[in-house]
Amino acid sequence: MRTAWKNQLTGYAFISPFIIGFLAFTLIPIIASLYLSMTDYDLFTTPGWIGLDNYVEMFTKDKKYWQSLKVTFLYVFIGVPLRLAFALMVAMLLNTASKAIGLYRTIYYLPSIIGGSVAVSIMWRNIYGDQGIINLLLNSLGLDSVRWFADPLAALWMLITLSVWQFGSSMLIFLAGLKNIPRPLYEAASVDGANAFHRFFKITIPMLTPIILFNAIMQTIGAFMTFVPAYIISKGTGGPLDGTLLYSLYLFRQGFQFFDMGYASAMAWVMLIIVAVLTSVLFLSSKFWVHYESKEG
Amino acid sequence: MRKWLTAVLACTVAFSLAACAGGNGNSADPTSTSTSNGGAATDKPKNVTLRMAWWGGQPRHDYTLEVIKMYEAQNPHVKIEPEYANFDDYWKKLAPQAAANELPDILQMDISYLAQYGSKKQLADLTPFLNAGIDTANISENAISGGRIGDKLFGFNIGVNAVNFQYDPELLKKLGVDKPDDNWNWDDYYALAGKAKEAGLYFDNGFRPEVFFGYYLRTKGQHLYNAEGTALGYEDDQLFVDFFKPLAQLVKDGDTPAPDVKAQIKGVEDDMLVKGQQIGIFQWTNQFVGIQQVANRPLEMAHMPGPDREKGLYLKPSMYFSISQNSKVKEEAAKFIDFWVNNVEANKLIKGDRGVPVNSTVIDAIKSDLAPAQVQVFDYVSWAQENSSPMDPPDPVGTAEIIQLFMTLTEQMDFQQLTPEDAAKQFREEANAILGKNK
Repeated sequence: MRTAWKNQLTGYAFISPFIIGFLAFTLIPIIASLYLSMTDYDLFTTPGWIGLDNYVEMFTKDKKYWQSLKVTFLYVFIGVPLRLAFALMVAMLLNTASKAIGLYRTIYYLPSIIGGSVAVSIMWRNIYGDQGIINLLLNSLGLDSVRWFADPLAALWMLITLSVWQFGSSMLIFLAGLKNIPRPLYEAASVDGANAFHRFFKITIPMLTPIILFNAIMQTIGAFMTFVPAYIISKGTGGPLDGTLLYSLYLFRQGFQFFDMGYASAMAWVMLIIVAVLTSVLFLSSKFWVHYESKEG
Repeated sequence: MRKWLTAVLACTVAFSLAACAGGNGNSADPTSTSTSNGGAATDKPKNVTLRMAWWGGQPRHDYTLEVIKMYEAQNPHVKIEPEYANFDDYWKKLAPQAAANELPDILQMDISYLAQYGSKKQLADLTPFLNAGIDTANISENAISGGRIGDKLFGFNIGVNAVNFQYDPELLKKLGVDKPDDNWNWDDYYALAGKAKEAGLYFDNGFRPEVFFGYYLRTKGQHLYNAEGTALGYEDDQLFVDFFKPLAQLVKDGDTPAPDVKAQIKGVEDDMLVKGQQIGIFQWTNQFVGIQQVANRPLEMAHMPGPDREKGLYLKPSMYFSISQNSKVKEEAAKFIDFWVNNVEANKLIKGDRGVPVNSTVIDAIKSDLAPAQVQVFDYVSWAQENSSPMDPPDPVGTAEIIQLFMTLTEQMDFQQLTPEDAAKQFREEANAILGKNK
């Protein structure tokens, strides 16, 4: 009995760095933010209880809030499928046997490592600038320049292409998934006369569905949290005409520019609920489209 | 597989949201930051490190660092750690520092934020340091009072400012005019600016609404905010329309740049006036020296358009130095401010970039050392002294939100997405909601 207790204690001691970190930096702040979301906390003075006022204002009065939701949903629902499709495409290209595959993998993963950084966002601004490389390219083809910073949808498109460009991590996971598909399946199909198109839709996609589910969920969550590119590309304004006012940018603005930390906390909680709902929808829908080879779950 | 996935997801969500939400119950307790003041001065001063923060462009960073070096040489026990950024980023950096009770000891303050930080007990009252750290023998009470909110002095005025039109005379000649008439009015301005596109230029880059709409209202005997800062100070939305409608028209006609063109300017080095694509800028006089330096060619100053310019024009503290409430070395911080405003050698480096000095003897002592552009600024401000009216009280709490609201609305008007009439209504409604919180 005593040794069992001692064993347990040793176990807890070993995981204590995580437990302490989790409590201090995750659980307690999360609970605190739930409390703060029902206050008028302004960063400097003692928070005063205002019940659900923040939530009521958000849903009934704040037009900017709805604008930021709209922009974020567009960004997620256009950006994530594009990014996944792109990642899968590159993964399939890399999956063809080549000696330099290690090099290619590294090169194509690079944008994901640096993609979230400030420098890349600044580069993106310049690429799409009035005298940027995209417009120079358009001009050389005899087309007119596009004013990317003048049209809310064009500006959002800038953000989406940046997110598609950071396909690396999904690509690596797809690549691992592709390598796990047994070759005999393809060989058997070829013998039966299936062409590349059939093989892709009847073998590759079904065999990859668990990976697709995983990537879709991770990327969706990640996309909802996007902050740096929107902040840098619009210089923190979310412009033009609030076309790039992503949710977390608006949250940041409420919290750190208007000092309305209570409202920002409330926004964070609504975001949590939105992401949770979307994730569970994806999970629930998975029984209809995800194919698990072993049924243990 | 699924359970593992759920666990990973739960952690990811939790972590990233925690990073977003950020705020914990870390409220500022101003009483707990008492300093060790009142102690007798010892022979050998203790070593101190002061953190000092300001906003500005490269020329300002350069000379400020030199002034700091000079101060450190004369006061070997003091080490100053500089923190600087451009105007927009500066305030974004300051807010989290304030929340963490880690504001720099000395921080540059703007009139739009003085009330916000002062009334939230982030800034120390400087009254005890007047003539006990900061020598005010040659500084007028009028200049000092610009930093008062109620009976507390939250910022020390480090320079005086006025607004005007700063332009390149060579570019203006392309419109067939040598200089704007001394008594030009808004109609003259629209007519002149309307010729810019034909000449392949922009006339100006627009008006910061919180400053210039304020000026416009003052010329009409009205004010942007009411005296208590609890609502807008003007009643007639037509004033809003009269001011913004012609400006949106200039943007539409291509005489002044559209918002997306301005959004791509990275800093003063990249400014369209500097690059010779724009004739002038409406801005504060202290900014003249910086832009002239970067442009590196002669620039001129002209008055604001009238009528009733004298009612609209005012002198304002261009910026303040404040001492944070959480500073442990307030006396040392005050001594640096004293050095900044009263030391002649230091001001030979500063050269009025932060506004014309408040110390009258400093003005006389440094004037012979000034470059032509700086003399222009000093002369303009002394002219404005005689041709202006007292300024409005410092901007109320919530100004940051009002500025944001102005930006959103002017952007929509400049993109022709919103009529000035609708913008006026929307502005009144939303601005009053923001200011109403001060009741």
